[in-house]
Amino acid sequence: MIAEEAHVASECQTIQEALSEYRGEVVRLGATERQHVDACPGCSEVAAAEMALGLIFREAVAPADPSVVAGVMAALRPVRIRRRVVAFVPVAASLLLAVVGAVLVGGVPGSGVVSLLPGWSTQGWSAVLGGVSDWYSATSTVAAAATAAIDPAFLAAAGMIGLIGLAVVVATARRWRKISPWRKSD
Amino acid sequence: MAVTGKTEKLSDERLVELALDGDEDAYGALVRRYQRRLTAFLGQLVGDIELARELSQEAFIRAWSALERFDPRYRFSTWLFRIAHNLGIDHLRRRRLQTVGLYRTDSDGDEVEVVVAALDKDPLGHLENRALAEELHQVIDNLRPEYRELVLLRHFGGLSYQEIAEFKEMPLGTVKNKLFRAHSVLRKALAVFV
Repeated sequence: MIAEEAHVASECQTIQEALSEYRGEVVRLGATERQHVDACPGCSEVAAAEMALGLIFREAVAPADPSVVAGVMAALRPVRIRRRVVAFVPVAASLLLAVVGAVLVGGVPGSGVVSLLPGWSTQGWSAVLGGVSDWYSATSTVAAAATAAIDPAFLAAAGMIGLIGLAVVVATARRWRKISPWRKSD
Repeated sequence: MAVTGKTEKLSDERLVELALDGDEDAYGALVRRYQRRLTAFLGQLVGDIELARELSQEAFIRAWSALERFDPRYRFSTWLFRIAHNLGIDHLRRRRLQTVGLYRTDSDGDEVEVVVAALDKDPLGHLENRALAEELHQVIDNLRPEYRELVLLRHFGGLSYQEIAEFKEMPLGTVKNKLFRAHSVLRKALAVFV
């Protein structure tokens, strides 16, 4: 007898927990649970009280305020621009570091290369290729001279700066990666 | 800002994807979807509806700024409410720090601090039934803190039990049990109205 009463109490507890969750909506319960509610005065009372409680809380939530939405929407664009600028700063800084590192290690490219860049003609391209070749020779010579004249530790440091700059570029690019795939809601 | 019915029907996940692609209207749909509930939740948390509006605006802007860092393993709703909750708690801490203590001497001759209640704007001020509003305010205030937070998330934030479990990092069964107990207290305290 005691075991039966305990079972009923436990069943009531489970059903009343569900009624709390469903805001007293008996229709959301299973058929067996609905029958129990119909037959059990305690659970019926809880169902009615939960429904009334749900209505009270529904009324207690203040109406939507369009000014909040308007305020948020007005702030989105400036925030986005600021965020892009902020995101670009480490990229720009690391690119600058990489260039400085490359210049320190490889030397400054000759001005002739830059002046010959425009033009899609065959002559233009051969001039560019010639310039690149000249630049390669010049940088090789400068690098060899620099190796002889500059402390190898300094060159290593410059190389490291270049690599760190590159790593920062890669890290920043990874932050921009699109989010995917979405977890399915259960 | 064009409000399209199509956008309003999309899931949170899809809207966040569109927002990440720079679609401000998609984010606007999320703002419209959660603004009322977020403001109501914050209103109960900080006890001032005007402040709650400011904080919910701030929460949406912060969420937009940090959208790229949003972890898709979680729901947008719980992430947004966590941002708002942290903002609310930060505000309450600052307010506590700014409180000026007034002292009086009690009957035993000891000096005790008098806390002056702030003239907050009532987050239940829109309720026509003032007796109900006052009783509800009282009952919520008197709930045990662990129940109170769950009640606010459920009934003012409109979160499901599953979302609350995720937000609180608590087993679903615990959420169900605690809310059931909290409801028992609420039902008794509001018996006149239910």
